[in-house]
Amino acid sequence: MGKRVAIIGTGQTNHCSSREDVNEMELVYEAASAALKDAEMTIAEIDAVVLANMELFEGRALPDMWCGEGGGAFMKHSFKISTGGTSGTSGAISGYYHAASGLFDRVMVVGFEKHSDGNTSAGMALTDPFWDRHIAAAAIGNFALSVSEYMVDRGVTEEQSAKVAVKARRNACNNPHAHLQMPDLTIKDVLESPMLAYPVHRLEMCPQSDGACAIIFASEEIAKKRCPRPAWVRAAVTRHDHIYLGEVKNRLSTMRSLREAARVAYETVGIKEPLKEFDVAEIYDPLTYAEIAWYEALGFCENGEGAGMIDDGITLMDGELPVNPSGGVISTNPVGASGTIRVAEAALQIHGRGGKRQIPDVNLALATGYGVYCWSDVVILSSRPD
Amino acid sequence: MNRNREREELIRIPIQMNLQYRFPAGVHYERFFRELKEIGRIMGVRCPECERVLVPPRPVCGECFTRTGEWVEVGPKGTVVAHTSIYFPFIDGSTGKARPIPYGAGLIQLDGAYSAINHILEEGDPDKLHIGMRVEAVLKEEREGNIGDILYFKTIEE
Repeated sequence: MGKRVAIIGTGQTNHCSSREDVNEMELVYEAASAALKDAEMTIAEIDAVVLANMELFEGRALPDMWCGEGGGAFMKHSFKISTGGTSGTSGAISGYYHAASGLFDRVMVVGFEKHSDGNTSAGMALTDPFWDRHIAAAAIGNFALSVSEYMVDRGVTEEQSAKVAVKARRNACNNPHAHLQMPDLTIKDVLESPMLAYPVHRLEMCPQSDGACAIIFASEEIAKKRCPRPAWVRAAVTRHDHIYLGEVKNRLSTMRSLREAARVAYETVGIKEPLKEFDVAEIYDPLTYAEIAWYEALGFCENGEGAGMIDDGITLMDGELPVNPSGGVISTNPVGASGTIRVAEAALQIHGRGGKRQIPDVNLALATGYGVYCWSDVVILSSRPD
Repeated sequence: MNRNREREELIRIPIQMNLQYRFPAGVHYERFFRELKEIGRIMGVRCPECERVLVPPRPVCGECFTRTGEWVEVGPKGTVVAHTSIYFPFIDGSTGKARPIPYGAGLIQLDGAYSAINHILEEGDPDKLHIGMRVEAVLKEEREGNIGDILYFKTIEE
């Protein structure tokens, strides 16, 4: 068991499809400065910096070099994490490990992506050269394949999927940082948006965003001194599945990397009834159908009941377990930051700094990450250190 | 300052590149692509421990961390276990060019294989695609020793 560690500050940029007013280092600096301000810290106090980014998307190698100074990494211990969609959560988990090891007391994590600099589709196409490169149809095509299995397996309808998109974009209206804020979005609008890869419509999929997010982790003594309500890290687990999409059987239904990560994390914290025990969840929802599938994988309901949860409004802002008050990845998706945002938003809810998206009395919060074909991260934060 | 500037006025640095790569296939892909090219058959490797037949072949079974051994012919017929129809011009990573749309794509479980493989389907109409449909690999006449030697999977009646 590592030492006690808490998140004491978070910061985000405003996210949108194209932050052409800044370059990537400026974007990183914005988030890092915001987190330091939130934690009431100076950069001199930070003793390690972890960066998370998928540099294939911008097409600029060594973002840790070109952007590291913007994250305050100059002459400090520094690492970069690049694990696809989980980069941001794995970056946060790495930051936690640094502090939990006892070797570092104040660690800053910055996740960032500036999709508009490059070509996301090209980044996705730079996959395995022997097999995948010729055939893969980016994230959307791969998800569409899994959705075809999931719809048959679980009987989920496209209306139920569209409800997730409506929930996400409406929640995003309460989040000043969110990219897609759509207060009047309807199920009809979602299902009439262009078909990208059957049966997935554009408005069922996450966007590509420019943005950055920073988190400050602190050791117990510092957290208690510097933060009125620290968000204690109680579990942080990552799991990777097989190489090829075709070897992950019925991916959305089975999702064994997320199930296994959740099982271990819940066991660590002693969680038996996640739906009742969590006050809020910020889950990495790359598309609507995945959010429904993750409800099942995370044990919020039995297998096959995920779509019923969205029908019954259980995961709405005023439901039993609000999922993604921030609007989620479906509303905001700077990939390297998307996972960091999940952890930051979960922490924000415990800090009580959520503004219009604040859920009352949050004591236990869940954050997850999703990446590549089937990798998962699970992070559990609590208002109590044990 | 930039926030006040009109978007059209912002300075941008456009870059276009033509990059070349060369990836040696390695022991397992070498045999896989050579058999595909010269004999026109699709091969997998069996894990001696869990007995799964893995396609594409590789030196180690991830679940058992055991060296794979026996080569097994699979397909060319198989069953569609997942499908989609693509309406967005994604980049073909082997050419850098957008593939003409629409087209069908699927996960195909080749007869005799544990793995399903992702590949292109001849049928692109979503109303004519369903899980469980039978398909067969259609190979190029002049094969080059890459995955493009399988042109697509055609629908078959059995």
